[in-house]
Amino acid sequence: MKNTLIIVALITTFLFIYFLQSNFFIWFTIGGIQPNLFIILMLFIGLFGGKRLGIPLGITIGILLDFFISKKIGISAIMLALIGGLGGILDKNFSKDSKMTIIIMTIGSTIIYEIGMYAINTIILSSTIEITPFIKILSIEIIYNIIITILVYPIIQKAGYYIEDTFKSTKILTRYF
Amino acid sequence: MYKKKTGIIGIIITVVILIILVFISNINIENLSYIENAFSSIVMPIQNGLTYLKNKISGNNTFFADINKLKEENEELRNKNLELEKDLREFEIIKSENTTLKEYLNLTEQYSNYNTKAAYIINKDISNYSNIFVINIGEKDGIKPNMTVISEKGLVGYIISTTSNTAKVQTIIDTASTVSSTISSSRETLICKGTLDDTSSLKATNISTTATIIQGDKVETSGMGGIYPKGILIGTIKKVENTKNIVDRYAIIEPAVNFDKVETVLVIISDK
Repeated sequence: MKNTLIIVALITTFLFIYFLQSNFFIWFTIGGIQPNLFIILMLFIGLFGGKRLGIPLGITIGILLDFFISKKIGISAIMLALIGGLGGILDKNFSKDSKMTIIIMTIGSTIIYEIGMYAINTIILSSTIEITPFIKILSIEIIYNIIITILVYPIIQKAGYYIEDTFKSTKILTRYF
Repeated sequence: MYKKKTGIIGIIITVVILIILVFISNINIENLSYIENAFSSIVMPIQNGLTYLKNKISGNNTFFADINKLKEENEELRNKNLELEKDLREFEIIKSENTTLKEYLNLTEQYSNYNTKAAYIINKDISNYSNIFVINIGEKDGIKPNMTVISEKGLVGYIISTTSNTAKVQTIIDTASTVSSTISSSRETLICKGTLDDTSSLKATNISTTATIIQGDKVETSGMGGIYPKGILIGTIKKVENTKNIVDRYAIIEPAVNFDKVETVLVIISDK
């Protein structure tokens, strides 16, 4: 029951982020560049909920996102599932309490997600590859994502530990006893 | 005996008083002015003070009465102001509706050769690397993939997918977009592509080595490629970039449509 409620809450958060992204961040940009809050969301779901929660939710949220506004169905699903899984892997090796680690994780996730999306879209849609403008946009997006992560991390951390207690409690016990 | 004496004295006093009164009433008032002045100099300052106070209180009464009147007037003006504000809001709504209807009318008249369907943009892309949007009409309204989308100013893009009530439009400034086009004056052919570098302009490539391109030339759809009909304005040549190899030269095109501000579009359903 608790697990179901958390999943519902996370999907609601996704919808909230979607509306925020499509209505607020469409004009609240840095040099015309928007942040990508879905990467941050999936990274933290993976970090606190583990791979088992991160990957399925990544696919679900990605497919919803693709249905809402994407050229092809499935690309965002693959990449967000990857970020969710990556969050689970990073949790085993890095501390979630260090701000520096979190910032590095955000940078890494943003780079992986956007390069993946760009590469897949370029191949599928036969777009022209434009490396310099891509790096320029990506750099600004990373900075924007870092700023948002720093700002919202205290809230994420509180909610995250609650998710962790619910989804990983048995594993934590196994680890320590 | 005592009572008799008292009665006589009383009569005498009364008579004396009457005599004095008769005497006083018969002398001129002017002769008593010094007494009046003396009284006046004592009484008048007090009287003046009292009169001032009385007037003040009387004035205050008017003041309080004015406050009440002003309050009423203020209330009345507030109500009038509210009514005016309401009228203004209604006027703004009507003005906005009028603008939209005018836009629709202009669009329909401008592209009278085509059967079109007007639509609103209800959602825009949230990615920094692509440029698509969602419109409020779909399969129910006869919208199908690959239909051309235009606006009052010119070409917008084409339908890439539909649901029963919505449709996704890939704009011409999207990096995956390629439009076969011609220069209106010289009829030279070009390929217009969206770029990541500048989302408010297009890159025109495949320019013939013999073609003469001048800044300000109008660029329109060529009709080749199977999606866009011929003769829809794309934009104007902003700049021509010459390279060492003339084959690689390209031009920057400023789209006729301002994609940041476009709100109403027309979907070309078929030719008339």
